[in-house]
Amino acid sequence: MDLGNQQRIKELAEQYGSEELLVVLGGAEAEASGLAAETVSVGDPTYAGPLAGVSLGLKAYHMFELKNEVDGAIYEEQVGMMEMVLNVDAIISEVTAYRAQ
Amino acid sequence: MNDPVLKGAAYALIQANDVALHQGSTPVSERLANPDSHFLAELPAHWRSFEQAVAYPPNQAFIGNIHPRELRRIPRPWHGNLMDDARAGGKHGAIFSEDVLYALMKAVDAFDLVLLDNEFLAPIKEKLLIYEGIKQWGCLARLDKNQAALIRIEELVASGSAEPMYFEHQLVGCVKRAHEYDVALSAHVMFENLVAKATGAAALQLLMNKTRLIPADVDYLIECSEEACGDMNQRGGGNFAKAVGEICGCVNATGSDTRSFCAGPAHAIVEAAALVRSGIYDHVVVLAGGASAKLGMNSRDHVKKGLPMLEDMLGAFAVHIAKNDGISPVIRTDAVGRHKIGSGASPQAVMQAIVADPLADAGLRISDIDIFSAELQNPEITEPAGAGDVPGANYKMIAALGVMRKEFDRSRLNQVVESIGMPGFAPTQGHIPSGVPFLAHCRASILDGTIQRAMIIGKGSLFLGRMTNLFDGISFIIQANAGAKSENEDHQARCGSKKTRVGLTVLGSEHPVSELVKGAEAASAADPCLEVVLIGGKKSGKLAAVAADSPEACLKIMDQMLAQGHLDAAVAMHYAFPLSVSTVGRIITPAFGRKVYLANTTGASATQRVEALVRNTISGIAVAKACGNQAPTVGLLNLEGARQAERILRTLCQNGYRISFAGSGRADGGAVMRGNDLLRGVPDIMVMDSLTGNVMIKVFSAFSSGGGYESSGDGYGPGVGEKYGKVVNIISRASGAPVVAGALLYAAEAARGNLPDVAAAEFAAAKKAGLGDLFCPLTTDRPLEEKAAAPPEKAVDEEIAGIEVFVIEDAVKQLWKNGIYAASGMGCTGPVIMVASEDHTKAIALLKQGGYL
Repeated sequence: MDLGNQQRIKELAEQYGSEELLVVLGGAEAEASGLAAETVSVGDPTYAGPLAGVSLGLKAYHMFELKNEVDGAIYEEQVGMMEMVLNVDAIISEVTAYRAQ
Repeated sequence: MNDPVLKGAAYALIQANDVALHQGSTPVSERLANPDSHFLAELPAHWRSFEQAVAYPPNQAFIGNIHPRELRRIPRPWHGNLMDDARAGGKHGAIFSEDVLYALMKAVDAFDLVLLDNEFLAPIKEKLLIYEGIKQWGCLARLDKNQAALIRIEELVASGSAEPMYFEHQLVGCVKRAHEYDVALSAHVMFENLVAKATGAAALQLLMNKTRLIPADVDYLIECSEEACGDMNQRGGGNFAKAVGEICGCVNATGSDTRSFCAGPAHAIVEAAALVRSGIYDHVVVLAGGASAKLGMNSRDHVKKGLPMLEDMLGAFAVHIAKNDGISPVIRTDAVGRHKIGSGASPQAVMQAIVADPLADAGLRISDIDIFSAELQNPEITEPAGAGDVPGANYKMIAALGVMRKEFDRSRLNQVVESIGMPGFAPTQGHIPSGVPFLAHCRASILDGTIQRAMIIGKGSLFLGRMTNLFDGISFIIQANAGAKSENEDHQARCGSKKTRVGLTVLGSEHPVSELVKGAEAASAADPCLEVVLIGGKKSGKLAAVAADSPEACLKIMDQMLAQGHLDAAVAMHYAFPLSVSTVGRIITPAFGRKVYLANTTGASATQRVEALVRNTISGIAVAKACGNQAPTVGLLNLEGARQAERILRTLCQNGYRISFAGSGRADGGAVMRGNDLLRGVPDIMVMDSLTGNVMIKVFSAFSSGGGYESSGDGYGPGVGEKYGKVVNIISRASGAPVVAGALLYAAEAARGNLPDVAAAEFAAAKKAGLGDLFCPLTTDRPLEEKAAAPPEKAVDEEIAGIEVFVIEDAVKQLWKNGIYAASGMGCTGPVIMVASEDHTKAIALLKQGGYL
């Protein structure tokens, strides 16, 4: 996960506490999305950023998993095209696997 | 309003392994955070050799040796399937090595910031001589100045005031900071900017080498890389464009820089198209050099996954946008796509703005575009880094857009992706992969009819600059030229794929330069498929010009341009042909106004008289055939040797070399002609020795004007020889505008008719019929010199006249034996030996000693 984003999430977790925080991912790649989910739960597996060795225990969901949580027309307008383009199943499966339990 | 066209595009790739390690932002950050990093220690083990980088299929696609779609047939990983027939020189560009990069950085550095170790520099200066165009850069003189010893370079690098330049792990140079404390002029910034300047200039030079663009044609340059040059008071003041234009001699241009991250090039091309369409400029070049910071950007992942360091290539390009030529693909300025500030950030909104909306404006659908050229990053580089297949994703988005617009059924998504796209092949150099890598291939495919229409898309991530979160994107459509409507309509059909370009040297005449320009204008008006380039003059009306400051310089430039293919033919005054090449003139005969070829008017086709007459006949036939007369009639003027020559020619004819002989108009007939036959224009070709021919052409050209002003005929004609590969027509210093015009049209005819090939074929046919066996052996009083080897060739610029033609070759060899390089030639008053000015005195002494003078 991008180092800048790691820092922002770390600060937000410190400010609001992990209980109040959910991470929503919009990545295009299964592997990268899985890595992001891992980073915000157990820590940066590449040991490159602020969350290296820092376990925030946050749950991460990919937008594709939250389809039913949002207005259908807006989802169609904003995400509909990418559902056709990206490998939705692979992404959801990676993120689920790395999501904090 | 003038529709702008894509007239040419060229590309450069420059391998820079050490630059990646020492100036790439990823390795540099790593070195700061973790100097003992395992990754840094391992990285060089993943370097490719130059040969491997050249043979890498995506790199071959980038420089035009294969079409990007051919990558579909090469199994991945491409780095495991290098091409056997790969070349560093490509159809649309070239690949350079890191040592050449360093030399170019020093050459383009106008502020003495680049120091290179003498030992490193010496062999590179030799290496540069193989690069056409680059080897003629005036700035190469800087390589001989401000030389440095390695110890000084080491000091500067150690002190932190210079950026190191390593080659194969050896420190070979450095780039000094340009200011003691101004961070905008730090050594690192200067390094990056010099990389952009040097690689941009290389791409511009390749554009000129590969197309017919000459420096003096360029009106405006737009540079669109992602670098900033300036100082602390104006950090991004800019104008890389003008700096690069200066290196390549674009003396008539100014320029400016356009920036929009990766979308920069597409913006710049739209701007260029607008400038041309409005008529402000006729010829605009859009160019950009490479980014040293981006080298090795994803190399951590490449090393981790055991891949070569694939991000070892700097990329650069140059594109020529010009006014409508009736042939090149047109850029549609009525359908430009843009991601507006209000467009929205979702991928859908972006594609809507830059793909769907402009298509709707043009009344087109996605299926009306044969191929889309979006971000073309090589997936082999991006996939291991988790960034996926960027072009692939773009094509999927375009296809998905089509599904949403109900153009295709969802089940056909993958099929559509295949048909509208291509594999990515460009290095991850930011602005470089964004749409532009396909332009040269696109132009070629439109010209050969494979495709009709393409859309070029550029996209940029503006948020990286922390000024806005907005995304950016711009697109344009290129399509086949319908053939220009007004003047050029049937010219395109006549001109074929290009106009015939003929150079004209304008310095050295007894008449003013304006007289020659008048002749050039008249020829251009008479033949719309002719393009005249004035050498030694200034741009005039529609005529292009190349600067030269003396008649000798004119000839040098003319020869260079012919050698580089920038001219198809040339018309010159006082040009010394080599021995065995002589010119075939063309006059208007008074009785019926018929044109007759005079074979020959200058030069010496052989040292022996009768042989010369026979060879003149063959050259005359070659010229007549090249100019469209497939069965020209031949007469020999009644001079000494004519009858023997006629006998030999008739023998050749009997042996299979067909010649049509004319018959004299005088009562006794025969192929030997009198003066009356010349006035009456009896044969198509009148054969005579070149001294007589020279008298004849002067008399016929200037008879009605009293002698000082040649007003009639087409001049002394093209030089012809058994193996002479150029088309160079001669005029004299007394030739007036009508003869200049005639000579230009004559030269164009000879070029279009492929005179060098026709002449070679004629001489070959004559040889087959026994040409070589029919002459008496050469007899002289002197023993023939045995074969002597020539000393190394050098430029010869002094003529020594007065040596008898039948011993001239011996004299040349005599000079060779004494280590002086010399060549024989034909001056305007007789045979000459040409030597370099520094050898002139010694040569004269030797020739006098040998009794030649």
